[in-house]
Amino acid sequence: MLSLRHVSKSFGGNHVIQDVSLEFATGSLSAVIGPNGAGKTTLFNLICGTLHPDRGEILLDGAPLHGLPPRQVARRGLARAFQVASLFPSFTPWQSFCAAAVPERLGVAGLLSGFPRQQGRQRADEVIALLGLDAVAHTPVEQLSHGDQKMVDIGIALCAHPRVLLLDEPTAGMGPEERWHMVETVRRLWQATGLTVLFIEHDMDIVFSVAEDVTVLSYGAILARGTPQAVRADPGVIRAYLGSYAKEAA
Amino acid sequence: MNNDTPPGLARLLPLLHFAPLLLLALPWFTQAGGTLDRISFVLVYGLFAMSLNLLVGYTGLVSFGHAMFFAFSAYGFCLLLGAGWGVVPAMLGAVGASTLLACVIGAVCVRLHETYFSFITLAMAMLLYNMIEIWAPVTGGDQGLTGMVRQATLFGTNLSAGLPRYEFIAAVFCASAFAMYALVSSSFGATLRMVRDNEPRSAYLGVNVYATKLAAFILAGLFAAVAGVLATLLVSGAYPTMAFWSTSGDAIFAILLGGSRVFYGPLAGALLLRLLVDGTTRYTGNTSLVLGALILAIVLVVRKGPVDWLNEWWQARKARPARRTANTGNAVNTSAAAVTADPAAEARPC
Amino acid sequence: MDFDALAQCLSSAPCLVTQSTSGLVIGLLMFLTASGLTLVFGVLGIANFAHGAFYMLGAYMAYTVYANTGSYLLAVAAAALFAAACGAVFERFVVRPLKGTDVMMQLVACFALVLIIDDAAKLIWGPAAVSLGVPASMRLPPVHFQGGVVPVFYLVLMGLSAAFGLAIWWLITRTRFGMTMRAVAELPSMASALGKNVNRYASAVLALGCGLAGVAGALAAPMRAILPGTGLSILLESFVVVVIGGMGSIPGALVAALLLGFTRSFGSIGFPLFTEGLMFLFMVAVLVLRPQGLFSRAGRTH
Repeated sequence: MLSLRHVSKSFGGNHVIQDVSLEFATGSLSAVIGPNGAGKTTLFNLICGTLHPDRGEILLDGAPLHGLPPRQVARRGLARAFQVASLFPSFTPWQSFCAAAVPERLGVAGLLSGFPRQQGRQRADEVIALLGLDAVAHTPVEQLSHGDQKMVDIGIALCAHPRVLLLDEPTAGMGPEERWHMVETVRRLWQATGLTVLFIEHDMDIVFSVAEDVTVLSYGAILARGTPQAVRADPGVIRAYLGSYAKEAA
Repeated sequence: MNNDTPPGLARLLPLLHFAPLLLLALPWFTQAGGTLDRISFVLVYGLFAMSLNLLVGYTGLVSFGHAMFFAFSAYGFCLLLGAGWGVVPAMLGAVGASTLLACVIGAVCVRLHETYFSFITLAMAMLLYNMIEIWAPVTGGDQGLTGMVRQATLFGTNLSAGLPRYEFIAAVFCASAFAMYALVSSSFGATLRMVRDNEPRSAYLGVNVYATKLAAFILAGLFAAVAGVLATLLVSGAYPTMAFWSTSGDAIFAILLGGSRVFYGPLAGALLLRLLVDGTTRYTGNTSLVLGALILAIVLVVRKGPVDWLNEWWQARKARPARRTANTGNAVNTSAAAVTADPAAEARPC
Repeated sequence: MDFDALAQCLSSAPCLVTQSTSGLVIGLLMFLTASGLTLVFGVLGIANFAHGAFYMLGAYMAYTVYANTGSYLLAVAAAALFAAACGAVFERFVVRPLKGTDVMMQLVACFALVLIIDDAAKLIWGPAAVSLGVPASMRLPPVHFQGGVVPVFYLVLMGLSAAFGLAIWWLITRTRFGMTMRAVAELPSMASALGKNVNRYASAVLALGCGLAGVAGALAAPMRAILPGTGLSILLESFVVVVIGGMGSIPGALVAALLLGFTRSFGSIGFPLFTEGLMFLFMVAVLVLRPQGLFSRAGRTH
């Protein structure tokens, strides 16, 4: 279970995250939504260790994550995919997965190990199959379509068997068909692996059809939290964010 | 899925890894002193450039002071020989001391922003240069340390001239090259490339970026130190210019000309550079001017070294068949054959 | 190491005066040069590895103009303009095409340029050192202060350096050009929003930075021998100043330069062999303890 307790973060006079407390049950599929500037990506940054909270705690199964640098947060089982695909240009997808799959052999510890390792190869093959990237597994990433690149980005995050997966706008920049393909892949992935998945999303159709629970952030504070139906009907949320969408859907 | 044996001749490709050993057999084909000397020169400065490429090409750290490890080791070797040490202990001592220096300097420099890193490494190398010039009683000042190298004997053969010198340089070169290749093909080597490509993402994947960069810096310093010892044999001594910024700069030029993304690129670059300098000296005394102009032209027009450019063109050609088969929905086998099955392909010597 | 000599000097007014003025002069000149470097890096994010070459060009130009006209002020003006013009050309033909490429490419380009300029200088002015000597107009009897001797020229130098420093400060803090500069430094993304002017603006900043180096070269010419290749030691000095003072900070550069200037002048008495080393040690200490420099500026430092 991933929990945030009274987390706050400010930059100068700008209170980006204000006293946020959340819990994400193990194996849940949750969405974080809200207008631009609400603090969604900052929240992810806090969870991952890129930023440290000014106040509050972030715990994974009881063990504190706050204050740890990103690489140690990663070692505790947290993985993240990015809004703009963050890849390794000189590696093919398969090679990237081989590398990401064996983190304990990266760096100085890998001086005497070959590359790619057997364990890495197997995991790379698995992830490629899981995400349907067989056709482009050995193509340099620069030549891949935007959608494939985002898929590889997620794949890299998956390779080391994370416990929690954070997806920052996985469908950003995609056309309608690609979006649903991405969402289906993520849902299939979630069902197959039992991961705890958190995703930031702006496409409300996707959010309300896939997520188990939805958190709405506005100006750094939680506006609403609950099942998609409950959130959609919440008057505060409608006023601040959803507006006509909710009326149409209802 | 990815271990198809490549057809025919391609199976012999891995044997190319051992090509450098041919260097040892070279004297059977030519005994011309000048040729062997020139090849020795290229091997020594090529090794130096290759060691720098561990930082520049593989990790993305542009050090402008790499010559400090080269020079420190050269002076150390001469001093130890002068103190009566044998060749092997002196070499181990010099390389060891230089590697220790790399530990200290690396620990401070490696966490710096890239431009700071380049300047600071340059500043440190020039500081060493100044110290060498000033501390004349120990270092011989601007005359350098000469004479000790004549005493370098290994198993009874004098290494300071002729055939034994060539064979020793070639042998040490091969050993160093193989060691470096093992390094870059390892998981550590893959990590270096990850850090070069995308440092923040590497951290998100659990990589200790600082430790990785420091290790790369130390290892690069180690191989530069080896090159330094070989250099003393070649030029019969240790001289202050070995620490001067132009020595580091020449190595960077070699990397640019020969390619930073290809393992033996810097060696080819050292050869090209040597040919260029020899060629220009024949026509004019202003080699720096011509060399500088040429390098500037390459950087402004071509935007990357000639060999890097060729390598990219070659990789693009190889990848094209894969895309065609992907479009026709054909199996992974064809794409695996078209794009080499060896994931360390980019590091393959060529 | 001669601490006795140092202690003696510190307790004797004449020595104190002489060494202090010396330190001031050295420091102020270092400040001028370094301010050019820190300006370019702080505003444009470009580390001008060729900075020392512009200093050298300024010095040589001053030497030639003075030799032909006998007017030192004209020489300094010519040096400033020449170095600034070279800076603008440098921006247009080297920096601009390489914007956004690999840092290594930018550094190699600068390095190649230094090679070219050094060799060209050797061709034009010869490999031997040339010296301006104290200009005729300044060969007045020295000023006596508390028993110490201060050459008039030093006073002129200090005055000119301070004047230039003030001019730069005024330019940055009081003019629209300066405000734009600071805005671009804070928010580089805004630069593209400013449109076409960005290129001319970058040229102007580089011209200013290189011009400062050229002026410093011209001002130092009477005291320092001019050699092809002096550029590098100047570059390293400037860089040490900038690291200690903080990239992009003019006041920081002043404080750091004065610190180093005094270290050098008093160091030449107390520990002549280790002056360089000490300056260097300061830099390493700053890097370890406070990497953004003594007077850090938001953005671009680390």
